[in-house]
Amino acid sequence: MAGLLKKTTGLVGLAVSQNPHERLRVLYSKILASVQTMPQDAAYRKYTEQLVNQRLDFVKTEPDVEKLEKKINSGQIEEVIFQAECELSLSRKMSEWKPWEPLIEEPPPNQWKWPI
Amino acid sequence: MAASLVRFVRGGLGRGFNIARSSCLLQQQTRLQSSTTEASATIRPKDAVTHNQLAAFGEYVAEIMPKYIQQVQVTCYNELEVMIHPDGVIPVLTFLRDHTNAQFRNMIDQTAVDIPTRQNRFEIVYNLLSLRYNSRIRVKTYTDELTPVDSAVPVHKAANWYEREIWDMFGVFFANHPDLRRILTDYGFEGHPFRKDFPLSGYVEVRYDDEVKRVVAEPVELSQEFRKFDLNTPWEVFPAHREPKDAAPKLEAGDKAPEKK
Amino acid sequence: MASTAATRAAAAASKVVKPIFSRDLDEAKRRVRQLYRAWYREIPNTVAMFQLDITTRQGRDKVRELFDKNKHITDPRVIDMLVIKGKLELEETIHVWKQKTHVMRYFYETEEPRPTDFLSKFYRGHDP
Repeated sequence: MAGLLKKTTGLVGLAVSQNPHERLRVLYSKILASVQTMPQDAAYRKYTEQLVNQRLDFVKTEPDVEKLEKKINSGQIEEVIFQAECELSLSRKMSEWKPWEPLIEEPPPNQWKWPI
Repeated sequence: MAASLVRFVRGGLGRGFNIARSSCLLQQQTRLQSSTTEASATIRPKDAVTHNQLAAFGEYVAEIMPKYIQQVQVTCYNELEVMIHPDGVIPVLTFLRDHTNAQFRNMIDQTAVDIPTRQNRFEIVYNLLSLRYNSRIRVKTYTDELTPVDSAVPVHKAANWYEREIWDMFGVFFANHPDLRRILTDYGFEGHPFRKDFPLSGYVEVRYDDEVKRVVAEPVELSQEFRKFDLNTPWEVFPAHREPKDAAPKLEAGDKAPEKK
Repeated sequence: MASTAATRAAAAASKVVKPIFSRDLDEAKRRVRQLYRAWYREIPNTVAMFQLDITTRQGRDKVRELFDKNKHITDPRVIDMLVIKGKLELEETIHVWKQKTHVMRYFYETEEPRPTDFLSKFYRGHDP
């Protein structure tokens, strides 16, 4: 539907999405699934779940693309899809890095002291 | 200069984040004018909204990646700085690039600072820009002459030449860099010119030699010893960086949720 | 017993520092030999390509001298760093990014040795 009306996003390398709702729903459910493997109290999981659930609600409740873009308020729907793709790849990497663990090493004394 | 420096120093052993607020006294410089029409101080106006936004975002990042982030601070010019452990270069930069609330997709600059008195003498500085949120962030890490740092090229393509420059100028080795070689100095150049222990005059001077019909390099010879001038000013240059006399009040960060940027 | 303690200490030490490439000295030495071999094979090409006024033998002697200059170094990380720099030099030589002057810089042809005794210093005029 959107593809018939919209010819271009005006951004290089970002094609118009034919069915953004479907795509977003798939991506968001994938993100949620990948976040599931992290511990419950990991801050990344908490915030990402919150964010993704919010956007997923918008996607589910709002069939019109333009209104959806307004509600999400993060640019065109194609950009939102791109963000979701990035978030998905990030969440997979995050479960590998485990950044919620305590600090690996304290800085040497006076490392961040300025001026010396 | 008006300066307020808010630091979020990590509390030991996962005690959360202590905020040490050390706001220094404003050094009021009043310019006395003969007409005496205007006697107001020229002080940079404070932008509390931006400052708080940046502080909240810094806290947000530090909460998500406590494994790598050692310290977060907002400078007096409203610049957010994140100090990380050198192992966390790839994770932190990737997080800042890919996270929906950050989207720091542009690498503006990458450079190094040489401070020879420190145990890890080089500071590597990454400046990032988020076009989506019109915001900038500075990520800092540290290394010494022999410790390799992970290259940021897999995350930001722009880092390629910047890292070559750092390698050339400071001699910091970047592991997994696709094409690490000299970029600014001449072939056959020895040493790393931006190190503090590199002499101002260099080691060699070049000239054309008529006998061998080519340019030759010879050890530099000064007709006069390099003079050392005492250039320290009698005034205090960084009053904002004076050590706080009384212990700064430590505030618990509490469980307030960082607001969305 | 002592040797195991020594190896354990060495392992602990190597755990503290982050290696560049080589885990231990033997590996670093292997890299040095690799680099030396590469230079050794490259010298005839270099002499031909740059039309240098030296023989292959002289070039190889110079390579050996430059390697020998650093033979006292035992830290694998320092050795690795030097090997990296040597590889970069080799690359620059192979691709002829260098010019004749850069290659001939190793030979210090035009340099006069610094005077050491008083009288020759005096004749030379100034002594910075």
